[in-house]
Amino acid sequence: MDLHKKFGDLHVLKGINLNVNKGEVMVILGPSGSGKSTLLRSINLLEVPTSGHIYFDDVDITAKKIDRNRVRQRVGMVFQAFNLFPHMTVLGNVTLALLKVLKMKKDEAVKIGTDLLIRVGLRDKINSYPNQLSGGQKQRVAIARALAMNPEVMLFDEVTSALDPELVKEVLDVMKDLAKSGMTMLVVTHEMGFAKEVGSHVIFMDEGLIVEEGLAADIFENPRHPRTKVFLDAVLH
Amino acid sequence: MEGIQNLLEKYFSVGIIWEILPYLLKGALFTIIFSVSSEIIGIIIGLVTSMIRTSKIKVLNQLAMIYVDLFRGTPLLMQIIFVYYALPYLGINLPAPIAGIVALSVNSGAYVTEIFRAGIDSIDKGQIEASRSLGMSYIKTMRYIIIPQTFKRVLPPLTNEFVALIKDSSLLSVIAISELLRTAREMMTWKLNPSSLTAAAILYLLITLPLTRLVSHMENKLKKSDAH
Repeated sequence: MDLHKKFGDLHVLKGINLNVNKGEVMVILGPSGSGKSTLLRSINLLEVPTSGHIYFDDVDITAKKIDRNRVRQRVGMVFQAFNLFPHMTVLGNVTLALLKVLKMKKDEAVKIGTDLLIRVGLRDKINSYPNQLSGGQKQRVAIARALAMNPEVMLFDEVTSALDPELVKEVLDVMKDLAKSGMTMLVVTHEMGFAKEVGSHVIFMDEGLIVEEGLAADIFENPRHPRTKVFLDAVLH
Repeated sequence: MEGIQNLLEKYFSVGIIWEILPYLLKGALFTIIFSVSSEIIGIIIGLVTSMIRTSKIKVLNQLAMIYVDLFRGTPLLMQIIFVYYALPYLGINLPAPIAGIVALSVNSGAYVTEIFRAGIDSIDKGQIEASRSLGMSYIKTMRYIIIPQTFKRVLPPLTNEFVALIKDSSLLSVIAISELLRTAREMMTWKLNPSSLTAAAILYLLITLPLTRLVSHMENKLKKSDAH
């Protein structure tokens, strides 16, 4: 609520008000530098808002006494640059937090990790190292890794932007399945096809503010704000 | 030719070297014991201090910086003398071997701190973010994600530091510890012939060379396991 974030003199978020309901797929659009990533990163407290509050199930997670590690366990995040742990196998990446944060038994964690990797189509890569994978495979591991903690919300920060075009689909397919399963998702993306098809809600950001927000269908068919129109015109054609 | 013959007699007298070798080997053993134990303690000190240096706790960060500056900016010989001769005035009486290890480890810890700090800084920030976003604490992130990746990168500078420490341990002779160089000098006085120094030099090389070789081997193996 009324979220602000400043980096020194740079005012990146200038008062964001946003409500995301369970099961929604909120697509965040906007030109680069509009604050999309900062907004996403604020939600799992990788960036701590300069002012304003974020409520998660009516609990203010921006409060001083909050345990940020606990909050982050409930929010999964996938990054543009994958950020897989290069010194661990694929399975090691996925089970790490289960073992070290949740203190799960090894065979239990391996079972969950294996199931997730099968779900993202990487059964035969379980014992590979990240450097042996393609970009699309890496990103699917990253999704499985985030899902391992059984989060209530998933954040996707331009997760296909670093991929070769032919590898984008396999990642988007995994995200589509996830959306269908009822996962609450916030997705920063430039993939308009995906946004249109999977997004339930869309917000359009510019210069640290939400300039337009609504149902995905409405915004794509009928953008009201001139800034949104220009942006959609540019990216859809 | 006479010059060469004199040189061989003075510095390469096989007979004398053979005779004093057992003493030198004992000195070498001391050198190894002192350097290895000091390096291990130094690495522990350096690890902890480097994590403080990269954390955001200002006061501790400042203290860590003062520590590093102090021990990197003054001669080790001076530090050894202070620990052994000055601390007793504060009621801290350390036997020479302990004082030696304390001085060497605290000194080495300062260098190791900066080596690890540079290593930690060189790891992509995304690694920390990915780990924290899983709910891993700062300490766990350091332990399972950052430090393991750092170790590979700091191996070369760490080895250089260790080799330097092995040679620096000769300064312990100032507090009457009979490590390799002191033993060699005692033998020189005893035999009135400096061949013991030559033998000591060879022993130093025998200690340091396998080390540097071993590490480049390990580096190659690690490189294979994690090429980007």
